[in-house]
Amino acid sequence: MTEAHHIALRMTHISKSFPGVKALQDVELEVRAGEVHAIVGENGAGKSTLMKILAGFYQPDEGEIEVDGERVGHWTPREAIDRGIGMIYQELNLVPDLTVAENISLGGMPRRGLFVDYAAVTQRAKDVLGELHADIDPATRLGNLSISQQQLVEIAKVMADKPSIVVFDEPTSSLGERETRVLFSVIDRMRRSGIAVIYISHRLQEVMEIGDRVTVLRDGRHIETRDVAGVTPDHMVRLMVGRDLNEMFPKLDLEPGERVLAVRGISREGQFADVTLDVREREIVGLAGLVGSGRTEVARAIFGLDPIDAGEIQLRGEVVSVRNARKGRSAGIALVPEDRKGQGIIPGLSVRENFTLPVIQRIAQGMFIFARRERAVVRSLVDRLKVNPPQIERPLNAFSGGNQQKVVLGKWLLAKPDLLILDEPTRGVDVGAKADIHEIIGEFARDGGGVLMISSELPELLAVCDRIFVLHEGILVDEIARADATEEGVMRSATGQVAA
Amino acid sequence: MTATSTALNTRTSTPGALFSTLSVPIAIVALLVVGAIISPSFLTVSNLVNVLNANAAVGLVALGMTFVAVCGGLADLSVPANVAMGALVTLGAQSFAGPFAAAGLGLLVATVGGVVNGLLIGYLRINPIIATLGTGAVLLGLSQQLIGGGIVYGEPSALADFVKGSFLGIPVMVWILAVAALILTPVLSRTAFGRWNLAVGGNYEAAEASAVPVRFTKAGAFVLTGLLAGLCGVLLALSNGQARPIIGTGYEFVAITAVVIGGTSLFGGSGSVLRTVGGVIITALIGNLIILGGLPTQATGLVTGAIVVVAVGIDVYFRRKGGRE
Repeated sequence: MTEAHHIALRMTHISKSFPGVKALQDVELEVRAGEVHAIVGENGAGKSTLMKILAGFYQPDEGEIEVDGERVGHWTPREAIDRGIGMIYQELNLVPDLTVAENISLGGMPRRGLFVDYAAVTQRAKDVLGELHADIDPATRLGNLSISQQQLVEIAKVMADKPSIVVFDEPTSSLGERETRVLFSVIDRMRRSGIAVIYISHRLQEVMEIGDRVTVLRDGRHIETRDVAGVTPDHMVRLMVGRDLNEMFPKLDLEPGERVLAVRGISREGQFADVTLDVREREIVGLAGLVGSGRTEVARAIFGLDPIDAGEIQLRGEVVSVRNARKGRSAGIALVPEDRKGQGIIPGLSVRENFTLPVIQRIAQGMFIFARRERAVVRSLVDRLKVNPPQIERPLNAFSGGNQQKVVLGKWLLAKPDLLILDEPTRGVDVGAKADIHEIIGEFARDGGGVLMISSELPELLAVCDRIFVLHEGILVDEIARADATEEGVMRSATGQVAA
Repeated sequence: MTATSTALNTRTSTPGALFSTLSVPIAIVALLVVGAIISPSFLTVSNLVNVLNANAAVGLVALGMTFVAVCGGLADLSVPANVAMGALVTLGAQSFAGPFAAAGLGLLVATVGGVVNGLLIGYLRINPIIATLGTGAVLLGLSQQLIGGGIVYGEPSALADFVKGSFLGIPVMVWILAVAALILTPVLSRTAFGRWNLAVGGNYEAAEASAVPVRFTKAGAFVLTGLLAGLCGVLLALSNGQARPIIGTGYEFVAITAVVIGGTSLFGGSGSVLRTVGGVIITALIGNLIILGGLPTQATGLVTGAIVVVAVGIDVYFRRKGGRE
């Protein structure tokens, strides 16, 4: 083995749990100097968690990290940088009002006595930008640069610390084709100068092009590492999704009725364009797509949380103008949001208060909330949804994720909507609660409701949904009937491998 | 099962809740005991009634400020201006409108000030501190323009006599505070508007996604505070018989102190009107003790300021510990 190909990074037996979720289990990763090592996997496969451990943001429960053959113990983000780990994230960590040179030296300004040594700052920026072959004036205000140029500055900032391992996390998601070319030539130069590059992307074509080896993660486990030369995108997709369906999702056979929701050509600048879909009574319709494909944005727009720029939304044949969640509720729509902590629960309020929030005016008699009626309504719901423990006065943040999710779901059942939109309803929820939630969704559909469900977990969508719409980069690329749906098929559409 | 039982044991709000529920009555009793030791004239009916009477007007502001804090609106710094507006209009308009209509006008003007705050903060989503600092400066400047920086004197009236009077041995001002507290306690704990305040302060985005009228709610809290600041001004003007633009100076801070000491978090999502009443009593007793103890009046600011910093610090500590970041 030549010097250029020594093992730069070895992560062995890495395990990490969060409350209720095993994010990583016994994961291996070995990256050589001078290679581009791609990591692929579905949303929630554990890629980000693994990288956050590498960058020192999380401590692994078990496992070891070796950098250049030397074991590292628990480390902080600062120590990781000092040991040569560079991270380039999807979102840029730059200050728009500072110059390019100042941004590059932001982490540690060269100083002369008490004062910043601006000559050194500029020289440092010139050096590192030159290395990247980036034609950017270090004195420019950062905000005046294009996104692609800003990303080069971000890369320069990381490179200024002379890293030996550089991680790119979905670097092309905000780049166009031409900018992607520029990025790839930069990555190629890094590879040739002996840097170990870790490249995370959903875009399998890119992985095929820039990657030397690829590691597939699934459900927090290491599935396979192999040379990119010997694998096809199809094969990668199969490795990413190919789990055995040992958890069965019950599927109800219902006869769909009239159309509840008809969305015609809705668009929202920069998020999604010309989306047309429909949901009928007693029907569960899936909305598949990768993170960032516009799934959540479409759901929020239908509910009224974000305005649409074009198109129309019909509920039971009537065009509705939903400009906020109150209008959405009045139109008969409910949304269980993806971000449970941020948009689903009021952590300090009790189960009771969270449950009745959307309908509190209906529970109030005259001016005052009729306490006994409120408690009765909540108790019956707590029983039906099997909220555990059934203590309605306990603050919601004292409950597990699954129980919190039941409350978020339940509060919208109280509003008796015609259309229930579910964005990742079972993410981070344990198996028992998951089954309960599926049962609740099934009951809602049996009683005549229409369901539009987003999930990153393909087996779940395939098992539960009657039809699946697939989004790729804001465009609806496919509609797949239940009978024809396979994980591979949905994944191919979601990764942009079929023409719209 | 294990996951559920761990969730049970980590009742994040327990220490904070316990702290704020028990601390108010304990603090009042402790102050009464300490006061009785320090000064023989402290624990007398007349002294305690006087203390309450002197703090009833600012207590009204504290009730409103509770809603502001609960809904995540931090604090209303335009209180002194709205108090001044209420007071000056009440006396200034007496000559042509009569005492009753003038008082009504005073209330109205202060409420309009609250509406402006509400629009800026609730609907335009400007930071409440900045917005109320601005409206406060504008309104105070306006009031000084109106009366040229001097003093406005009132005329004797039945209304003024009523405000200065007593009922069952308790001053009317104290009765008014009690009635306002009795009305506003269930408004916060038992109406849709109150529930919305708690939800908006607890998690703005989740409240919005739960069809809560978030903008209206936040605006409403500031309108209510404007109205109560106006009422405070009206009562002060009538009972003093005179008013100057600086009449409400420092009232915003006394009100914030009372809210915080009562255990309502300045960061929103929890709180109670009754606890604020407890906070008003505690602040009032501390101020009284400082004077009876022979310390200079200026020490009051020192002591209450320190208490606010410590109380908010404890709140922040428990929040961090509770993992709310």
